Amino acid sequence: MTYNAQFAPGETKIAENRRKHMNPDHQLKTIREVSDEGLVRILGHRTPGEDYKKVHPPLDEMDLNDDPVRDLVEPIHGAKEGIRVRYIQFADSMYNAPSQPYDRARTYMWRYRGVDTGTLSGRQVIEIRESDLEKISKELVETDLFDPARSGMRGATVHGHSLRLDENGLMFDGLQRYIFDEETGHVVYIKDQVGRLLDEGVDVGEPLPEDYLNEITTIYREDNIGLRSDKELIEVVENIHTSRTEGGFGLNVFKDDLKKRLGDD
Amino acid sequence: MSTEKENRINASDEISNENKSNADEVCEIIDIKIVPYRFLKPETSEKVLNKLFEIEGIVRGIVHGPSLPKTVYYGPARGTPVNHPYRKSINVKGQDIDLRLLVGDIILTVNVKLLNEIMESIEKILDETLSFKYILIIGIFTKTQITVSDYLKYGTNFENVIDERYIGMVDSRARSSETIKMI
Repeated sequence: MTYNAQFAPGETKIAENRRKHMNPDHQLKTIREVSDEGLVRILGHRTPGEDYKKVHPPLDEMDLNDDPVRDLVEPIHGAKEGIRVRYIQFADSMYNAPSQPYDRARTYMWRYRGVDTGTLSGRQVIEIRESDLEKISKELVETDLFDPARSGMRGATVHGHSLRLDENGLMFDGLQRYIFDEETGHVVYIKDQVGRLLDEGVDVGEPLPEDYLNEITTIYREDNIGLRSDKELIEVVENIHTSRTEGGFGLNVFKDDLKKRLGDD
Repeated sequence: MSTEKENRINASDEISNENKSNADEVCEIIDIKIVPYRFLKPETSEKVLNKLFEIEGIVRGIVHGPSLPKTVYYGPARGTPVNHPYRKSINVKGQDIDLRLLVGDIILTVNVKLLNEIMESIEKILDETLSFKYILIIGIFTKTQITVSDYLKYGTNFENVIDERYIGMVDSRARSSETIKMI
């Protein structure tokens, strides 16, 4: 019997959205187009047109000793070439951003190879070889994992994910890396992800409408779909919690061992 | 622009908000906190504050929100100026107020006897000016008694010398001349 991954528990729309993000067979919907050059400038790791910096020679040229485990793994393109590792960091608003930190972590783990991801409450970072980073970032920014107003590419000073939105519907950014162009209705990045001013703005498109965001979001909110209304998820969470608590005490597992140690047997 | 040293209005003329010596506590002022569902642009806050300060019975107001830094303070771009367009000066009833933050809440300390009229006026103003929802919360959100932070700011023996309304308006790290304005 082959094993079919279930991805995530839950019977509501939110859980379904989480499963879609994680499932590598589900095609993420491309919503906008961001220029390659623009994205490279926002990332801020190299100027467009520059070659990738390398930290070691290509793996084929290196004199490595035999390692059966290493031979099992097919290196990604960046690793083969010896390109340095760089990062992109996202902050997602709690106000129905399409993706949320742990959702991103699981999505990256399921869909991409060679990533090192870090998840915190207010930000989510992905570190990978620079050439692969740019390919992945393109997908992360052009699909429905990203909303220009409620998700932000922020390398530093990430504060704002839990704050109210401003009058234009944008998430608070202390460094104001992006602005809302009221004429075109688009969000434009005027600084790169760490706050350095860009020579030219990068248009990342129009913010998604509120109703659509409520449908595709992956965060449970009482004013949208609350966590307590998802019975299946609550059941799974309670199961895990109970198992960890009882298992932690070792009530049925280590009972005999404990008795022996206490001299009760 | 005024500093706290220049404003020595006789405290007995002002509404007293300290506990009376008899057993009953007399409440003469109360706070109304306005929490809009969105952060306000400086232009909108200017409109709203100008209208709010026309209402009779308002003793003082505090504007609260996340701060907008002047320069980037962390990361590879540390030291570069931010030039946030919302960090600008607004004019409220003739006084220039330098906003260093995004306006999130407005807390108005009001005369409790006029509470109902004030609430109605506030609701009317906000319904006209804001295009999104807001909440009004009534309670005590500002300090009404002198505490350690006031002493730290002003030194000792200042109680009868400064305007009572300055109690609790102290931010220990900022220069009061920049953050407090008399309107």
